[in-house]
Amino acid sequence: MEHEDRYYLMMMDALDGELAADGHTELEAHLRACPDCNREWRTLTAIELLFRQTPILMPAIDFAGRTLARLPNRRARRAALGTAYTVLLLSGIVPLIVALFLAARYAPVLSSPALLGGVWSSLAGTGRAATTIIEALMVGAGRFVIEQPILIGWFIILAGLVLLWGGVFQRLLVQPTAVASRN
Amino acid sequence: MNDEQVWLEQARRGDKEAFGQLIEAYQGPVYNLAYRMLSNSGEAEEAAQEAFIRAYTRLNSYDPAHKFSTWLLSITSNYCIDQIRKRRAVLLSIDEPLPPHPALHSDNNKGPEAAFLAQEREVLVKSLLAELPEEYRQAVILRYWYDMSYEEIAETQTSTVSAVKSRLFRARRILAEAGLERGLAPAVEAEVAV
Repeated sequence: MEHEDRYYLMMMDALDGELAADGHTELEAHLRACPDCNREWRTLTAIELLFRQTPILMPAIDFAGRTLARLPNRRARRAALGTAYTVLLLSGIVPLIVALFLAARYAPVLSSPALLGGVWSSLAGTGRAATTIIEALMVGAGRFVIEQPILIGWFIILAGLVLLWGGVFQRLLVQPTAVASRN
Repeated sequence: MNDEQVWLEQARRGDKEAFGQLIEAYQGPVYNLAYRMLSNSGEAEEAAQEAFIRAYTRLNSYDPAHKFSTWLLSITSNYCIDQIRKRRAVLLSIDEPLPPHPALHSDNNKGPEAAFLAQEREVLVKSLLAELPEEYRQAVILRYWYDMSYEEIAETQTSTVSAVKSRLFRARRILAEAGLERGLAPAVEAEVAV
């Protein structure tokens, strides 16, 4: 088997035109002596001939026109991108200028420790209120689950059915129907 | 500056007609590659169109130091590989009767026997290519139909020369075995000089 691999590699190089002259001589001599390798070489050559003789296929005559019609408009795309970048730039620069203006105007007020303390305490109060509301909602939901297990079970089954039918619907949507009819 | 470079420059500036010239010039190689990869004429045409559209929208990323054809074929074959992987996911059959195409029409003009032989050859080539994993198939197509060097194939596959050699080596072994199974006759002595 080792000799087969060695000569097989030489055959590959010969097919790619990369076998040196002395390699050619050695391979030729071996192919004359070894029927298995000879058959292998002739099969590889048959494949080589088959593929090289198979012509390049052309698409339908109106392919270029149809492809051209599908091309996006690069000029319009570039203009749209330019507009988007300008808007983004302005949307960054305008607020920055406003912020700088406000900071310059109200900096003395904001640097007052009493005012900052007031702002902080009002933010903290809002946070506490939000936490209380969420806690109350969670407790309420927990009680509902305990008191109405059948209703919750039914709701879970319904959600499962909706998901299942959603999946089936998606599958139906991606069925390959148009491919074969093109020809 | 040759015609191709002029068209590329104009297309880069948004001239669709100039890109149309490039489509005319490369529609055969691009479609052929897509057909050999996908084995389906409808999908091949869709893939070829998509490859041209992608090339057009990405023209700014094309490096003129490389051949345009290599870049374009690289886009095509990568798109086809994506399609094969997606197709595998939806279990789409690739067994489709061969479409009529100009290459076979020219054989029709030579007579029914030539057309029959060409059709037989196409069926065999298609079934042999179907035996190969997509990266091997890509390497074989680029090697045989486009005479690409190992370096060019490696560039197209974003791979190394040694990986390309290895893929071609294995691909030829698979093809030889499959060819024998399908009754491909080994070449006669006169055709096989080393």
